[in-house]
Amino acid sequence: MNRSGLTAMTRIEVVVAGEDVPVLSEVFTAAGATGYTSIANVSGVGHHGFHQGRLAFNARDALTMVITVVPDERADAVLAGVRALLADRPGVMFVSDTYVSRPEYFR
Amino acid sequence: MTRSDPAVRARVRVDVEAAARVVAPLWPLTSFIAVNPLEGLLEHGFEAATAQARRWLGARCHPDLAWLEAAHGAGRITDADLRASILARHPDLDDDGVTARLEALLHLPADASALPREPIRGDGPLDPDLTAMVDGVVASWCAAFTGSGAAGWPMPGRGEGLYRAWRQSAPHDPALARLAGRRLRRELRQLPEDPEDAIVETLAARGVAPASHRDEMRRQLCRLPGWAGYARWSEQWALPDDRTPRLGLVDLVAVRLVHEHLAAGAVAFPAAAAAPGLCTRPPDPATPDDRAALWLDAYERHYRDELLTQLASPAATAPQRRPAAQLVFCIDARSEGLRRHVEATGDYETFGFAGFFGVAIRFRALVDPHPRAQCPVLVAPQVTVEERPVPGHEQAARRHLGRARSALAAKAAVDAAKSGAGGAFALAEAAGWVTGPGAAARTFMPGRRVAPARRQDPRTAPAVGASTDGVGFTLEEQVLYAETALVTMGLTEGFAPLVVLCGHRGQTTNNPHASALDCGACGGNPGGPNARVAAAIFNRDEVRAGLHDRGITIPERTWFLAAEHDTTTDTVAILDKHTVPSEHADAVSALEADLATAGRRLAAERVEALPGGARRHAARHAAARARDWAEVQPEWGLARNAAFIVGPRSMTAGLDLACRTFLHSYDHRVDPDGTAIETILTAPMVVAQWINAQYYFSTVDPDVFGAGDKTLHNPVGGIGVLVGGGGDLRAGLPRQSVFDGDQPYHEPMRLLTVVQAPLERISAVIDRNDVLGHLFDGGWVTLAARDDPTAPWQLRQAGGTWEPWRHAERSVDHLEVPA
Repeated sequence: MNRSGLTAMTRIEVVVAGEDVPVLSEVFTAAGATGYTSIANVSGVGHHGFHQGRLAFNARDALTMVITVVPDERADAVLAGVRALLADRPGVMFVSDTYVSRPEYFR
Repeated sequence: MTRSDPAVRARVRVDVEAAARVVAPLWPLTSFIAVNPLEGLLEHGFEAATAQARRWLGARCHPDLAWLEAAHGAGRITDADLRASILARHPDLDDDGVTARLEALLHLPADASALPREPIRGDGPLDPDLTAMVDGVVASWCAAFTGSGAAGWPMPGRGEGLYRAWRQSAPHDPALARLAGRRLRRELRQLPEDPEDAIVETLAARGVAPASHRDEMRRQLCRLPGWAGYARWSEQWALPDDRTPRLGLVDLVAVRLVHEHLAAGAVAFPAAAAAPGLCTRPPDPATPDDRAALWLDAYERHYRDELLTQLASPAATAPQRRPAAQLVFCIDARSEGLRRHVEATGDYETFGFAGFFGVAIRFRALVDPHPRAQCPVLVAPQVTVEERPVPGHEQAARRHLGRARSALAAKAAVDAAKSGAGGAFALAEAAGWVTGPGAAARTFMPGRRVAPARRQDPRTAPAVGASTDGVGFTLEEQVLYAETALVTMGLTEGFAPLVVLCGHRGQTTNNPHASALDCGACGGNPGGPNARVAAAIFNRDEVRAGLHDRGITIPERTWFLAAEHDTTTDTVAILDKHTVPSEHADAVSALEADLATAGRRLAAERVEALPGGARRHAARHAAARARDWAEVQPEWGLARNAAFIVGPRSMTAGLDLACRTFLHSYDHRVDPDGTAIETILTAPMVVAQWINAQYYFSTVDPDVFGAGDKTLHNPVGGIGVLVGGGGDLRAGLPRQSVFDGDQPYHEPMRLLTVVQAPLERISAVIDRNDVLGHLFDGGWVTLAARDDPTAPWQLRQAGGTWEPWRHAERSVDHLEVPA
């Protein structure tokens, strides 16, 4: 893939219960992230078995994936906050390198 | 002023959110939602969560032992119940051991019959008077910030959050100056700009170790659990377009912490010495915890045995022929009575379904400037549906709108005048001669007023010439919602010529908690709009064609009709009657007459249980209570709710369940993959558990979990109530909602859920939904189930196994009362 002209950043994906999305968004904001994308009603299999993602009338207990992209220098702050949250709340986090075409959106 | 590391600020956010889980979110009064006060601790289980509430809030979490002993004396709890409970909790005990425990329970020393309150961890470093003063000052700032009506103008800097706004105005606060003395201005100047930094710096200045930070934050919040609950709602539950002022948890912790720091001077904080956290110990068998748990279990067991015995042999089965009408009511426990009387009145079949009828909407009535969220708080509204004139009736609608706006403007002007500091006196002088006779009539002759009170609120008057439809939803969504509703309630064939979707509402006057009597499934609002929208969707030809393609055929002649049950007066209003085809006119008239008869019968039954109520002229008496502005007990609401029953009406038909059960219709034969039962257990049952827990905790400790005496309530800016002139917001239900005089009217029991469905399917649903595991295995809800009507009842055990239910009278060998 041609990545010339793109800017390297860190992508952080977190899957949590819907009820934890508000505090996760606060963590992102406090740590300096400029925004995030959330995908509601995700399902999957984890070490506790199958997790139902889509519930007809209960978004709080369904699972949501929240994705943010930050400049590398802010990634540690976001990671610290998310790790503190996941210390006693259920969920998983994935961290990866990524590239963006409009870096000013993320600074 | 430098800002701290972003990582530190992010961690503070997490710590404060975790610390706040011991207090319940508090919804604004305009959309009061019954919530489990310990919902933030759900995953810890009932015993551990209540241990935390005792520890941090000083709460009592079980019914008073003296009261339970009285229930034993009255036969409400038997020795067999107690023996069965002892054996269930201590399975290793032999017969003599059980007898010894029973004897110990029944012969408590007099001074041990009341559960002691634990010392509150939130007491802090200051002497009690100074602590109370700090609480009072901070509560005043919260009230000013959230813009109570009495404040008159918004607090400067409100858009920047409580902490920053307070920091601007605090130097001018004489109460704070009294707390902090001469160093106030110097200390305030040194405060950091951000609340997170203020928390970190103050905790460091007070010598609180990092390991104790979360406990210290929790201690701050537990001093003002009402305002903390409102902050929890603001941050975690408020919808983005909600216009009610927001309060931040971090702001609240920062402001109170700084106040305490300023007041404490050189006194050290105690948090570093003791960090109880949220890990808990199991109750010691010799402690009041264990005694209380045994009595509570026996109390619940007795009701459970009676209900399951009743359900084992229903008095009648559902009618086989096509009924004249099918009526779908909300699962609300109050609907059970109306369903019973409607069925006895005519050839009717009834169903139970969540009262928002599957349409999660914002609804804007014609006369309403803003839409209201009309759905359970567990979901966000999907679309906005607006009421509007039907073609050909625009002129009438305009006239109605004009009258309504004039009345609204007049009401707004009077409300503004009443809420001003001096305006109330001026209003009384200027307008007292006009309003005086009406006030006298309302006081001395509440039953004589001709028009029902709700028709005097122009926003809730029937919209003349107006109509609603499903615009806003795509056709595909409408078909999906219609199919979901029908399959979930098991109504997929045999449609009657009329299918009535009946929402509900309460009707009270001068009652800040009025919305607590409305429909919880509609976000604490009247359920009529949802019934109207759902009926409009079901009546669309395109929707029916879509349903037909999915295997559900609604006959062309079947008409869906919206209605609203007024639970205070037990009257039912048919809505949008002008849209009903003429061929159904006679049937609708007959239905209205039968609903009126059923309502009168229910009112007679219900009014008798109200303080001062009498069966004679019950309907008139109920209507008078609704209009009486001095009435503190217009109806009992959901008091005595006890069980959530999921299955076909044939399980309960003909039984008098005394308005104590949430009834959700369900037919497992049309739900082979378990989607419908999953929906029912993860949404309506969760809401029912919240209601049940709200009533439970408001009864077992009205001082901590209840809203106090209605006669002392002082509403604050539409947000909540204070008892008296200041202090913390009061959460929970008013005392008059659960007590009859000095005695509890509500029977505090944890929810019993009863399901008729294959056990394997139920277990699979529980396994894939953590919330259900927490509820059933954590001791919040007892689950009884059977595969079909011929199978014996099974009780789910913690861990997922099933054990046959046995009546307590048949499950113990020795029933003698110990000497």
